[in-house]
Amino acid sequence: MSELKEQLKSQIIEQLNLEDLTPADIKNDSFLFGDEGLGLDSIDALEFIVLLDSFYGIKIEDPAAAREIFHSVDSMAAFIESKK
Amino acid sequence: MKIIGHSYINPKGAFLNGQNVLIATEENYLKSYFSELEIDYSKFYKMDLLSKAAFLGDYLLRNSYKDLLNVENELQFVFANASSSKETDIRFIESYEHKKNPSPSLFVYTLPNILTGELAIKHKWFGENIFYILTKFDSDFFNDQIAMSFLRGNEYCLCGWVEMTGSPEDECFMFLVAKSEVVNENLSNKLNEILNNYRNE
Amino acid sequence: MGEESKLERSLKCYLKYGAIISPLGDSIEEHYLAFFENKSGIRKEEKTGFNAENLFLAKIEGLENSRYNALLKQACEKLIENYSSSFLQNPKTGIIVSTTKANLAAITTDAFESTRKIIDEIIHPFHEPIIISNACISGVLAVNTAADYIRLNKFDQVIIIGIDVLSDFIIYGFQSLFALSNEACRPFDKERKGISLGEACGILVMKNTPDEDFNVEVVGGASSNDANHISGPSRTGEGLFRAINKTLERSEVSKEEIDFISAHGTATLYNDEMEAIAFSRLGLCHIPTNSFKGYFGHTLGAAGIIEIIMCMVSMEKNVLFKSIGYSEIGTTETLNVISENRNMEVNTVLKTASGFGGGNAAVLLKCIQ
Repeated sequence: MSELKEQLKSQIIEQLNLEDLTPADIKNDSFLFGDEGLGLDSIDALEFIVLLDSFYGIKIEDPAAAREIFHSVDSMAAFIESKK
Repeated sequence: MKIIGHSYINPKGAFLNGQNVLIATEENYLKSYFSELEIDYSKFYKMDLLSKAAFLGDYLLRNSYKDLLNVENELQFVFANASSSKETDIRFIESYEHKKNPSPSLFVYTLPNILTGELAIKHKWFGENIFYILTKFDSDFFNDQIAMSFLRGNEYCLCGWVEMTGSPEDECFMFLVAKSEVVNENLSNKLNEILNNYRNE
Repeated sequence: MGEESKLERSLKCYLKYGAIISPLGDSIEEHYLAFFENKSGIRKEEKTGFNAENLFLAKIEGLENSRYNALLKQACEKLIENYSSSFLQNPKTGIIVSTTKANLAAITTDAFESTRKIIDEIIHPFHEPIIISNACISGVLAVNTAADYIRLNKFDQVIIIGIDVLSDFIIYGFQSLFALSNEACRPFDKERKGISLGEACGILVMKNTPDEDFNVEVVGGASSNDANHISGPSRTGEGLFRAINKTLERSEVSKEEIDFISAHGTATLYNDEMEAIAFSRLGLCHIPTNSFKGYFGHTLGAAGIIEIIMCMVSMEKNVLFKSIGYSEIGTTETLNVISENRNMEVNTVLKTASGFGGGNAAVLLKCIQ
């Protein structure tokens, strides 16, 4: 699971063009969309949907329902594990 | 009309009011200018070339904004380029043709006027905006636009020619113009002079 | 400054029909008939989505590649049927084009080159076209800019072209934002699910002198940025509120005089909600309002122009057109959405538009007969 989380962090940085960040800068349990997290917005949430499909083959139909999944790296990893 | 300040950015350097203030230290020159200026704005990294360049050009001008009054309502953005958002458009096409999915964060930048949106957000300026596609920088055209803007009641125009396609000729030329009592200053000639000087640096 | 103000107030701007091509036809008459019958140009188009989904689009049949070039040519040819060369080629005739993507098929070289070439070949205007590319508010901006040029006395008349065509690029892009509806769009409705994309070309002609018959004056206009988000509208409708406020101030028209509002009404949850909030803040909720997107779909750079053309038809025929797709209000603020065509004197119209980049624009039109 921790390997998945590290992988996810790299993928997030790549997918969202967060050039100034390294995986070490992203805490597993930080709320990604808050100021203490990465300060992401609604478009970034949509990019997460692309990320889940492109890297993990998981399709999300309803972006609003998906908000919980993208809460943190922890919640994303848990969701991906649950879909295996 | 009076030019209060002007800035210029290209792959070689960044300039303010005719002075060279930064020299590019890497191929990703926009990133290097951003780092050297020590700007705290993480949204920068999500922007495309057009928005990054305009953001930096605008940041260089920050001291010119200090004494402006009622700027959030009466400052108009007048921007133009020749290639629209071509560079981002091509990357967006790649995202759905070669990669697996159309990228929403690229799609939202496939319009040239997004850069004015980024500037408005940064400053919380609610004024008028417009983006034109010209074949080349045209100082007479900008002169007319500014005249029209002032006739409508605006007090300032922040103008820009932001041509960024990922080529060595890329440039971002921005200038801030205020209404002025001085009638005989030929804005068009002055703009050409300023830009030519920058281009020959 | 005194001389300049005199200039501005004495030079007025009048709109005439130029041309209109959409799935509903290629003449004003055909469009009036379609609107009279509440016919929509939106159809289910098979396998047009990124994953071969069926989408609801307002597509023009029979356009050959490049579809943008074919549509622009057709519309320009319609224009020259009704306006003389001496008018179109006059040194005091300007020409403005509103488009978001132009000839996207040529993106690797120059997407705007064919626009200049086709206009030159068919219309031969004295001046190069002035191209506005400012997302979905481009059309309204084009009309406001044309008026500015006339008030500056740079031109006596201006040809204003608004055009965009459908493409995978646009469709997949809006899909990636989850902004498209899986049915024909339902502006302001409780069950609305998003946009139906469309394509069209509309041409208006603006002059500084009125004709003997029907004229629509462009009294004033303005734009304003939300300063909030590059692709989502402000939750308080700040930019639209300011654009409309400035428009009314510049027009010296009070909200009581407005007979009809042609809203942007794209049918996304956020846009329509934002518009309703802005209208409510301005005290405009009781004014008959519609969205033309139920007829045309969202035509991006063409939207402002073709929708202003239909505002003119409303004023000419004194009819309010039903807002197709609407049955029950789905915004926090209740608007007076037109639910059936009805005859009414329509003299003063407010047209609004909002678009990516936080842009909002409005224009105030008055019928002079």
